[in-house]
Amino acid sequence: MKSSPLHFPFEWPAAAGPPEALVTLREEPVVRVTLPSGDEAFLVTRYEEIRRVLSDPRVSRNRDRPGAPRMTERKTKVFQNPRIDRDPPEHTRMRRLMAKAFTATRVEGMRPHVRRVTEELLTDLLRRTPPVDLLEAFAVPLTLRVICGLLGVPPRDQGRFRGSLDEAWRYMGELIEAKREDPGDDLISALIEVHDEDDGRLSAHELHVWCVILLLAGFETTATQLGSGVVLLLTHPDQFELLRGDPALIPDAVEELLRCQIAGHSLSMLRLVTDDIEIGGVTIPKGSGLIPVLESANFDETVFPDPLRLDITRVNKQHLVFSAGPHFCMGAALARLELQVALEALMRRVPTLRLAVPPGDLRHHDSPLDLGFRELPVMW
Amino acid sequence: MHVSVDPEKCCSSGLCALSVPEVFGQDERECVVLVLTFEPPAALHDRVRAAARRCPTGTIEVRD
Repeated sequence: MKSSPLHFPFEWPAAAGPPEALVTLREEPVVRVTLPSGDEAFLVTRYEEIRRVLSDPRVSRNRDRPGAPRMTERKTKVFQNPRIDRDPPEHTRMRRLMAKAFTATRVEGMRPHVRRVTEELLTDLLRRTPPVDLLEAFAVPLTLRVICGLLGVPPRDQGRFRGSLDEAWRYMGELIEAKREDPGDDLISALIEVHDEDDGRLSAHELHVWCVILLLAGFETTATQLGSGVVLLLTHPDQFELLRGDPALIPDAVEELLRCQIAGHSLSMLRLVTDDIEIGGVTIPKGSGLIPVLESANFDETVFPDPLRLDITRVNKQHLVFSAGPHFCMGAALARLELQVALEALMRRVPTLRLAVPPGDLRHHDSPLDLGFRELPVMW
Repeated sequence: MHVSVDPEKCCSSGLCALSVPEVFGQDERECVVLVLTFEPPAALHDRVRAAARRCPTGTIEVRD
């Protein structure tokens, strides 16, 4: 291992490709880094070891222990909240309460709704004069309307929690009270019912936190991935043309765009090692911070040949963008559905879509926990 | 081929039920995986193996 720690997350210098550090990262199985908080952690860099770590009970999501490493210095009610970052079996109890909203049948049943919203938004988009920010005009409203429909957030309120986490927190408190009086056929009402049974399955605090998380994680991440996927396609015109000519490739293309995503990093995957473990011949001592670097797994040449090449016809689709193990992304099926529907419709209805600025001018957010691009100006 | 699952491990991703609905379902109450056919026909074997590989928690076991 190198002795002076790198800084993580790595900077993304170009919109079209991954940071240089990510290309060579897997030469070492474990790499020591400094996080934005100033705390140190170890990165796990290779696919197989990352998968193993994600299911290892000695690698805990719960960092509610003295001296545990922090992602950033910022502490909020929602992120880095040890009271909700649980491990099994408490985590399993919680997860199954919410998984009901995301079962395969339920998600598939949302396809017509996702299609309708997509078509409406694209009709509005095409009436505007380019350049237009594709994130604000399409990706964000689409994913926002879908998750709000699932949770039961009324359309008139959909601008009320975009400003800050505090606003989202306050808004959700009011909405939970309103739904308690007047429940609907939605996830928030269902969770209130579980809480009100008062058998300890869901505390008031957990209810509040989880509703905020579902709301924010439910649209920002998918909107970010949609933006990333569009940028990748627009900067790889051969792949764009291939896909436009054969919509049957959409499901595979979505997986490849997720694998190659240029929007994120794994800072929020930070774990705590609760007992000494060995990774690739290196002993990681108890109490260390550990980050399984999902974007590194997705560029692992032993699993994905020629990993830096975007190839929407790839057969192997076992990327880890949704993680793995007991904390696998609960919204993965919904995100896939939204990405498939959105890309198919976008290519069909806006076939001449292109970036309105050089790719090098696209800027990522500055804050380490805000992923994706600040804006995505496009024309057609 | 014989398919078995360990529901205790299941993280309710629904990937198996979406990719091979002939073989896997989801319990609507507990949200965990259900095997609908323990001995799937040969035509489904490749898809069942792929579903087992893709399962985020290694819940699905396939024996030939």
